[in-house]
Amino acid sequence: MEFSWLEADLTFRRELIDFLQRTLPEEWDEMAKDGPGGDAQATYSREFCAALAEHGWLTQHWPKEYGGKDATPWRHAIVGEEMWKVGEPRGAQYMNVNWVGPTIMKYGTEEQKALHLPLISSGNVLWCQGFSEPEAGSDLVALRTLALREGDHYVVNGSKIWTSYVNHADYCFLVARSDPESKRHQGITVLLLPMDLDGIEVREIPSVVGERYFHEVFFTDVRVPVSCRLGPENAGWDVVTYSLAYERVGAARYARAVLTLDALAEHARERGLLEDPTVLERLSEAREVCEMARLLTYRVIDLRAKDSSPTADTNVARVAGTMAERAVSELALAVFGTDALVYGNFGESYFRMAMTAGVATGTTEVNLNLVASRFLGLPRE
Amino acid sequence: MDLAPNEEQQAILDAVESLLGQRAGAARAIELDRLGEADADLQAELDQSGFLDIALDDEMGFLEAVLVVEAISQAGGLVTAGASALVAPGVAGESLPGPVALMQAGDKGPVRYAAQARTLLVDAGDEAFRVEIEPGAFEVVTSNVMFPLGRAVGELPDGDSLGAGSGALLRNWWRVALAAEMVGAMQAALDVTVEFVTGRRQFGRAIGSFQAVQHRLATCAVLVEGSRWLVREAAFRGAPPEAAATAAGHAAAAAGRLFEETQQLTGAMGYTREHDLHVWSMRLQALRLELGGAGEHRRAAARARWLDGGSGA
Ligand SMILES: Cc1cc2nc3c(=O)[nH]c(=O)nc-3n(C[C@H](O)[C@H](O)[C@H](O)COP(=O)(O)OP(=O)(O)OC[C@H]3O[C@@H](n4cnc5c(N)ncnc54)[C@H](O)[C@@H]3O)c2cc1C
Repeated sequence: MEFSWLEADLTFRRELIDFLQRTLPEEWDEMAKDGPGGDAQATYSREFCAALAEHGWLTQHWPKEYGGKDATPWRHAIVGEEMWKVGEPRGAQYMNVNWVGPTIMKYGTEEQKALHLPLISSGNVLWCQGFSEPEAGSDLVALRTLALREGDHYVVNGSKIWTSYVNHADYCFLVARSDPESKRHQGITVLLLPMDLDGIEVREIPSVVGERYFHEVFFTDVRVPVSCRLGPENAGWDVVTYSLAYERVGAARYARAVLTLDALAEHARERGLLEDPTVLERLSEAREVCEMARLLTYRVIDLRAKDSSPTADTNVARVAGTMAERAVSELALAVFGTDALVYGNFGESYFRMAMTAGVATGTTEVNLNLVASRFLGLPRE
Repeated sequence: MDLAPNEEQQAILDAVESLLGQRAGAARAIELDRLGEADADLQAELDQSGFLDIALDDEMGFLEAVLVVEAISQAGGLVTAGASALVAPGVAGESLPGPVALMQAGDKGPVRYAAQARTLLVDAGDEAFRVEIEPGAFEVVTSNVMFPLGRAVGELPDGDSLGAGSGALLRNWWRVALAAEMVGAMQAALDVTVEFVTGRRQFGRAIGSFQAVQHRLATCAVLVEGSRWLVREAAFRGAPPEAAATAAGHAAAAAGRLFEETQQLTGAMGYTREHDLHVWSMRLQALRLELGGAGEHRRAAARARWLDGGSGA
């Protein structure tokens, strides 16, 4: 056990920070104001990720045979932290490199690997995650979207909801039911669905989080070639589980939370609040939680680096990450007061982006359920 | 970065846990509390086996010392684990005759282990002082917190200064020591509570299967894990003011939560001297108030980061 970074990793982090300073356009902050799904950021991600790929940094954690460098999960975590600190210029493409690519490596045909992996590792393709449905949120296996086999095609009917980035996506990682009689985990099939097929309609769901944040996607008799199926027919749940395990080291939200906290301390100083012991205590309290989230995420990365199978440490880290976002949000409101009601105010922007932390990629309650059963071993009945 | 114990660390943990398995535990803690004593035998044994000197060992260091302190506290060992294994080496650069008590100059409140201690380390602001305790200098204070407490009878001798700036050093290591002891006690309190809610049945099912119960314990688990990694990292980095106070602030707040939830979820049984919970839950009350408690730790961490030139990390 020890907590120091390798010299090479420290150097890498410095190079990456330099690269970001050189590369991000002047108007970056404005572009990033609606998050990775916003139009400006989605468009820019194609340019940015291509540049990152040229440095060999986009998919360095991938195996050499797929164009990576077999870099450690720690190296990739450094990328995640530095990207989140500046507002994630990889846009939606962080998903590609984190879990879409690795899942294709595991389950893809040679043809699928030859098509998708180079697209992803060159940084110019956008994916979306078609999992949630109106009736299938936390209980994902309640999904109903059908993909019925007709000869050498699947015919897809149904809808997906909350689909981030879908408005710019080239492909959708779609989970559907291929056996209409099946229940729960059976009868599920994964499709790597090109978004330019006929019969797909995307509608934005206006929200208070930001523009282009949420969408519903409707599929009407969409004919998808069988060659787009990832993994076996009707046994796609294993594929889904595998992809979610890769998602276990989620976005490095704590990295941004910590930076925000320092900025909030500066605002507090300007507002003469830093003499107030209560403000000091709350700043510190929020920082404790951010540091906790960082270390508990490191714990998950460490397990990954040692090739351990996923454990409930992931859920522990997820809960901590949400606590961190909330603590910093609360402080943003305390420091800015009613100014934080104004759209675009620093505190407002933060709480708006942070408010989804307890729901996106699995809710806090679901994570607590898993901590209770798998980490503490509490009984089910 | 490697967050699993290496072979040497694992060997130390195995050795100390085996010793504690024989010599510590709830029953022993309850017996000693009834007698109003600290565990002189265990203190001597840990000392002779070198567990309290690990921080200064060439091959080891303060991180390993934290692992040992966590384990001692988790086993309910009634010895000055944090003060002996972390604070003394941290501020004096050597191990000191134990038990070692810690106090702030002028503090009229009760001090853990003061009536049993041979050495006292005093935080006098800029400087820290080392005082040899004369018999009778402290009187026993009655308490239910499962630690022996003492209060100074008259004026204490000044003792020997440990040098300019040693006061801050003392506070930093004291915070790390407190956090490590709280981690051990929180883990044990959580463990006995999980055991209780798993076995206890009401309404035809284990109470630990109710989601309202599960979520509260799961949240406690997250806070304990967070405290654990914060203090380990702080020790590894040599107790810089910000990291030390961050670990202590977080652990003290978590300890408050753990006290509340573990006492609540064990029902009336949790208040009794026949159930083990009180050994750890009551100690948490003492640990989380020491050195000013969460509020003071937090102000110290914030000052280190945002006011004292910002180089506290
Ligand atoms: C910002 C954001 C981006 C998203 N992006 C995507 C995306 O790209 N692709 C995609 O497929 N999905 C996406 N989602 C959807 C997300 O995965 C779901 O919102 C999430 O899984 C929860 O489902 P739900 O919203 O239907 O809530 P529900 O499942 O209806 O839950 C509502 C509340 O009930 C609680 N609850 C549910 N079950 C239990 C239980 N067993 N025990 C205790 N409490 C329970 C929940 O914790 C929650 O508090 C996104 C969501 C957000 C907020």
